[in-house]
Amino acid sequence: MTAPAYPVKNADWNYVVEMFVVAVLYIGVTWARPWLIAHAASPGLVTAATVAPAFPVWIMALVVWRYYRSIDEYRQKRFLEVLALTFGVGVCIIVTIDALYPRTTFDWAWPVLAVTWGAVSAAQTIVTAMQYTQSRRG
Amino acid sequence: MRNILLELRAQRGMTQGDLADALNVSRQTVNALETGRYDPSLPLAFAIAKLFKCRIEDIFSPK
Repeated sequence: MTAPAYPVKNADWNYVVEMFVVAVLYIGVTWARPWLIAHAASPGLVTAATVAPAFPVWIMALVVWRYYRSIDEYRQKRFLEVLALTFGVGVCIIVTIDALYPRTTFDWAWPVLAVTWGAVSAAQTIVTAMQYTQSRRG
Repeated sequence: MRNILLELRAQRGMTQGDLADALNVSRQTVNALETGRYDPSLPLAFAIAKLFKCRIEDIFSPK
């Protein structure tokens, strides 16, 4: 086992706090972007303001990675299962929606992936609870 | 795999939380191990064996 970044016990709380801060940063930057682009003094600043929302997303990926590194092996396995299923199911949903209603932007894909992640996590929790009940009976 | 983790823990009067702390894993992991829903990695199996002063094969056996 590799040493976690911080004690396993604190992993969930640290993840929630870090993700909350980054989500607020993302919303703030996205909200301020039109104003920043309109008031940018040079083309370089316009480019910087245009790509600004990408930075919180990269930080988000880092937060997820830190969380993955700080949980134990069983929870890592479950986390990867959710991630893989979310990717598979999410891509199917996004491709289907895009085929039915072609659009120029993919902003809507984020909420679709987020909802898929939540649904897959909930399904995994239910399946685990059912397996636990079954093992107690057996 | 089958294991006697629950018995070993009970013999020592430990809670799942105590065992989780001793192994630096979550309580969910201890629960999954005890109910046979998860087979540990070799490093974790060695850590468990060391904690209970047993051999791995004394704790874990094929079903």
